[in-house]
Amino acid sequence: MSIFKSLYDYRELLKTSVKKDVGGKYKHSFLGVLWSFVNPLLQIIVYAIIFPLIMRSNIEYYVVFMVCGLIPWNYFSTVINRASFTMIENGNILKKVYFPREILPLSVVTSETITFLISSIIIVGFVLGYGLGITINIVFYPILLFVQFVLLLGISLFVSSITVYFRDLQHFIGVLLQLFFYATPIVYSVESIPENFQWILKYNPMTYIIEGYRDIFYYQTMPEIGTLLIVLVIGILLCVTGYIVFNKLQKKFAEEL
Amino acid sequence: MQKDTENRIIVEHVYKTFDVYLDKANSLKEKLLFWKRNRKETREVLKDINLTIKNGEAVALIGVNGSGKSTLLKLMTKIIYPNKGKITTNGKLTSLLELGAGFHPDFSGRENIYFNASIFGLTKKEIDKRLDQIIEFSELGSYIDNPVRTYSSGMYMRLAFSVAINVDADILLVDEILSVGDQHFQDKCLEKMKELKKEGKTMVFVTHSLGSAKELCDRAVWLHKGNIKMDGKTDEVIEEYLKETT
Repeated sequence: MSIFKSLYDYRELLKTSVKKDVGGKYKHSFLGVLWSFVNPLLQIIVYAIIFPLIMRSNIEYYVVFMVCGLIPWNYFSTVINRASFTMIENGNILKKVYFPREILPLSVVTSETITFLISSIIIVGFVLGYGLGITINIVFYPILLFVQFVLLLGISLFVSSITVYFRDLQHFIGVLLQLFFYATPIVYSVESIPENFQWILKYNPMTYIIEGYRDIFYYQTMPEIGTLLIVLVIGILLCVTGYIVFNKLQKKFAEEL
Repeated sequence: MQKDTENRIIVEHVYKTFDVYLDKANSLKEKLLFWKRNRKETREVLKDINLTIKNGEAVALIGVNGSGKSTLLKLMTKIIYPNKGKITTNGKLTSLLELGAGFHPDFSGRENIYFNASIFGLTKKEIDKRLDQIIEFSELGSYIDNPVRTYSSGMYMRLAFSVAINVDADILLVDEILSVGDQHFQDKCLEKMKELKKEGKTMVFVTHSLGSAKELCDRAVWLHKGNIKMDGKTDEVIEEYLKETT
């Protein structure tokens, strides 16, 4: 369990790199932190106009329905994208200073989690704006966030270490994420998909997480704890195997970068 | 694991080879398409190195370019790992291989002290305690609250060095960085190093400056083509080394 000890010893590094990440992003822009609202809002406006037009869905409060999926999705895809760059981005430091390398993917996931917490205000804003109201089910929000965090950490450990050896995987990941966007019920509902394609959604862990957020904010019911538990187990398995792979690969980071 | 503070660094039968790719397939695409392309040469950088550095010793690693000095130092810091053999270090270790690692240009010097020191594994409390000392040593005065991007390169290096030197590790690994700033600051650095040595810190230097090696170190290890050619008192090793190379 030396991994936990070394992470604890370097907790200040994790803290400062998260701070640098979240604070540094907007340090020089005119609107500052507001950008973390402007970007998704613009995206929401575009999607809210386009998708109802082409899909003719009869979902009530479509915008709220979509926002509940889109914001968690952005969190998911940004983390994976950034994790695939983080080692190369920090190559200079990796080559010169020793510190537990796991800090880097961990800090990507952590700082994006903070960004997600901030942009969750958007979800709440839409839910309130459309008069749906907030119910007690919001207590499940931290649980969902935790499940998603674990899942993302597992994936990030794989992605961040493998891209050091296969640089073009980054572009591939970008394309894959775009495909995944349509394989996840974000702009449509699970029911609207023909039966013979539903298996795709069924094997996609993000389906259950998005549905979970939707349950608490849009349908205002309890999320399905059983399926979330399965996702959590998958996440933990990914973390363990991801860590083993990461640990194997990290020994040559300094030479490969 | 028993704590062995008598021997700070133990290097046992260490081999290190680098694969030198003549034509490297760096991407998945290239690896699939040109799988035959990966011609590589293996270069042995270190061959069966055995070295024990005791507590409180100041050791200079000398040798011509490409003799494996820096590689040995990097192995000690765990930036790279040996192919064969084992390296054990006891105690808190700091490497001054890179100055200003983790500096963010948009943040103030004060904030960057925290970023930089945290890379060396210091906690907030430990940094707080050293903050004044670091700022004083850097001689930056009121500039410390300006963003680092406004610094001159000399100021930048001074700040970076001040952080590194004040980390308070048991073992210091230094790679040719004593050429920071003007003469005044260099002298100050050298003084600080001597002071640290008196405090009983263990130090390993990689240097081409034989003068400062003589001044600081009581032991020198001469590396030649990946082997230890000579290991002994600084004066004697340097004398032999000069005979050979000139």
